[in-house]
Amino acid sequence: MTEREKVVTGPLSQVNLLEPLLTVDNVCKDFSLNDGKKFPVLKNLSFSIKNIQNKPQIVSILGPSGIGKTTILRIIAALERPTSGHILITEDEPNKMRDVKLGDVGVVFQKYPLFDDLSVLDNLVQPGIRIAKLDAKVAREQALQYLDKFELFKQSLYWPVQLSGGQRQRVAILQQLMTNKHFIILDEPFSGLDPVSITNVINLIKNIANQHTLNTFIIITHDITSALTVSDTIYLLGREVDEKGEALPGARIMKEYDLISEGLAYLPDIEEKARFAEIRKEIKLDIFPRL
Amino acid sequence: MDSNIEITSTKEKTSPLLEAFRVYGEVSTFVRSNLIAIWVLLFLGLWLLSVALRKSMAETMTSTELLDNWLYNLVRPFPSPSEVTTALYNMWAKHQLLSHVWSTLKLNVIGLIYSSIISLVISYLSVIPIFKPFNSFVKLLRYIPFIGFTLIFFSLFTIGWPTKVAMLTTGMTFFLVTSMTDVINSIPRMKYELAKVLGYNDWQVFYNVVVRPTLPQMIDMVAQNAAIGWIMITSIETYSRNEKGIGTQLYAYYSTNNLPEVYALLLIIGFIALLEDSLFSFLKRFLFPYSVIAERG
Ligand SMILES: Nc1ncnc2c1ncn2[C@@H]1O[C@H](COP(=O)(O)OP(=O)(O)OP(=O)(O)O)[C@@H](O)[C@H]1O
Ligand SMILES: [Mg+2]
Repeated sequence: MTEREKVVTGPLSQVNLLEPLLTVDNVCKDFSLNDGKKFPVLKNLSFSIKNIQNKPQIVSILGPSGIGKTTILRIIAALERPTSGHILITEDEPNKMRDVKLGDVGVVFQKYPLFDDLSVLDNLVQPGIRIAKLDAKVAREQALQYLDKFELFKQSLYWPVQLSGGQRQRVAILQQLMTNKHFIILDEPFSGLDPVSITNVINLIKNIANQHTLNTFIIITHDITSALTVSDTIYLLGREVDEKGEALPGARIMKEYDLISEGLAYLPDIEEKARFAEIRKEIKLDIFPRL
Repeated sequence: MDSNIEITSTKEKTSPLLEAFRVYGEVSTFVRSNLIAIWVLLFLGLWLLSVALRKSMAETMTSTELLDNWLYNLVRPFPSPSEVTTALYNMWAKHQLLSHVWSTLKLNVIGLIYSSIISLVISYLSVIPIFKPFNSFVKLLRYIPFIGFTLIFFSLFTIGWPTKVAMLTTGMTFFLVTSMTDVINSIPRMKYELAKVLGYNDWQVFYNVVVRPTLPQMIDMVAQNAAIGWIMITSIETYSRNEKGIGTQLYAYYSTNNLPEVYALLLIIGFIALLEDSLFSFLKRFLFPYSVIAERG
C-alpha cells in the first residue's frame, strides 16, 4: 500500500443484503441468414443463478467456439433482445423479479474497451460518480484503492493506449466494479493468455469477487480447466444430437456442475483433486466432441 | 558445443539516407528537416531553371516559334523570384498589402469559427434520429453551385462584410458537416455499448461517446476544410471588389496580367496555410495529448 490514510468503506459497507438472483428463462435466439432463412443459435436456454449467502459467486458458462456464448452474454446484458424468453433479475425484494435492462449487468468485453480520452483513474472515477452516485472524493479514493490493490497505481494517470494487455483487462474489470453492480459478466477473460497469466487472472477474479460479498461474476469461456478452477457453478452450453450423432441447431444448457456441493469450490489446490480431473475429462469427452 | 557455428550480428545497420527511401523508414528529426530543405531547394531550383529557360528561349527563338513550343508554354507564366520579391515589396509599400491580408485573415478565421460551431452542432445532432434527415440535407447542399446561395445572401444583407462572412460560413459548413458526420459514423459500436452497460443515460452516452472522444478528429476536419475555405474566400471576395482582401487583389492583378503580384499573393496564402496547419496540429497535441499516441495492436 502506498501512503494513504483511511480506507474508504462507503459504498461497500452499505450493500443491501437482499437475495440476488438472475434467471435465464427459456431463451431462444434466431439469426437471419443472408439467404433469408432463420438460424437458431440458442434454443430454450434456461438456468438460474441462485444466491449463496455472503459468498461471492463465480459462475461459468462453458462451451466450444461458435456455440453462442457471446450471444447469451449480449442477451443477459440486454445488449440484444432474445427472439423469445426472458432474462429476469431481482428487483429490490427477494422473489420479485423483472426483465433485465441495459445497465443492470456490467460487461467486460473481450477487447476491453475503455474511454480512451480519459486517464485510467478517470475511467474508474466517472462511473463511480455517475452510476454508483458516489461523492467525487469517495469515488477517487475507491478508485485509487482498487488501482493500488491490483498493481495499477503507477498507471493511474496513464492514457488507456499506454497500458499493456493485462493492465487493460484489469482496468476494464475494475471499471465495471466501480458502478457497484451486482452482476458482472466477462467474455473470454482467459483467451490468448499463457498459463501463468491465466492463473493470475483467475486469482484476480477471485480476489475481485471477494471485494464485495454480493458480487456475482459470470464468466464466459471455452477453457475447461480455468472454468473449473475459478467457478463455483458451471453451466455447459451445448447442442442436442440426433440418432446419427449430428448436432441439432440451437444451443442450450446441457449440464450444470455445482462445485460447492461437489466440495471443489474455494479450494486452493483444486487441480490436485481426483474429482476435478474426473469432471474435466467428462466435459472434454462428453460435451466438446459432439459439437 | 559446436565451435563451427558462425554467428553474425543481426543488428540492422542502415544508413539514414537509405532509411529515407524505405516504406515507413525511420529518420531522425535532423534528417527530416534536411529532407524538407532538400525539397524546398529542389522547388527553388526548378523555378530558377524554368525562368532561365524562358529567358534563353525568348532570346534565341522567333515569336512564332515560341508560340508553338510546348516547353516555352510550360515555363512562360513563371516570373522570376526577384520579380516576385519586388512585387511583394511594392504591394507592401504602396498598396496596403498588410491591410488586405489582415482583412482576408479576419474573414478566414471568423468563417472558420462560425462554420465549425454550426457544423459541430449539426453533425453531433445526427446521432438523434429526428435530426438525421436535416444532416443529410446539409451534406447534399455541397453539390449545389455556389451562385445559388449568393443570390440569397445578396438579398438578405448589404453587399460587404456580412455577406462575405455568411457566404464563407455557409459554404464551409456543407463540407465540414460532411467530414464531421463521417467521424461520428466511425465511432466503434463497442464504445457505445461500454457506456450503455455501465448504465450511462442518453445524455451521458452523447457526451462521453459521441462528443468528447471525437474532438481531436474534429480539429483534423476543421484543418482539412480550412483549405477549402481559402478557395472559397478568394472567389467570395471578388463579389464585392471595392473591399479589401487578398481575393480582390488577386483578381485585379490577374485581370491586368501582373503575374509577379499574383504569385506573390499565392505565396502569402501558402505561408498562412502552413501556419494554420501547424497551429491546428499544435492545438490537437496540446488539448488532446492522448490522440497522438499510436495505438498498439
Ligand atoms: N448477426 C449474426 N447473424 C447471423 N449469425 C450470427 C450472428 N451473430 C452470431 N451468429 C452466429 O451465432 C453463432 C454463435 O455465435 P457466438 O459469437 O455467440 O459464438 P461464441 O460461442 O461466442 O464463439 P467464440 O467462442 O468463438 O467466441 C455462430 O455460429 C455465429 O456464426
Ligand atoms: Mg465469443
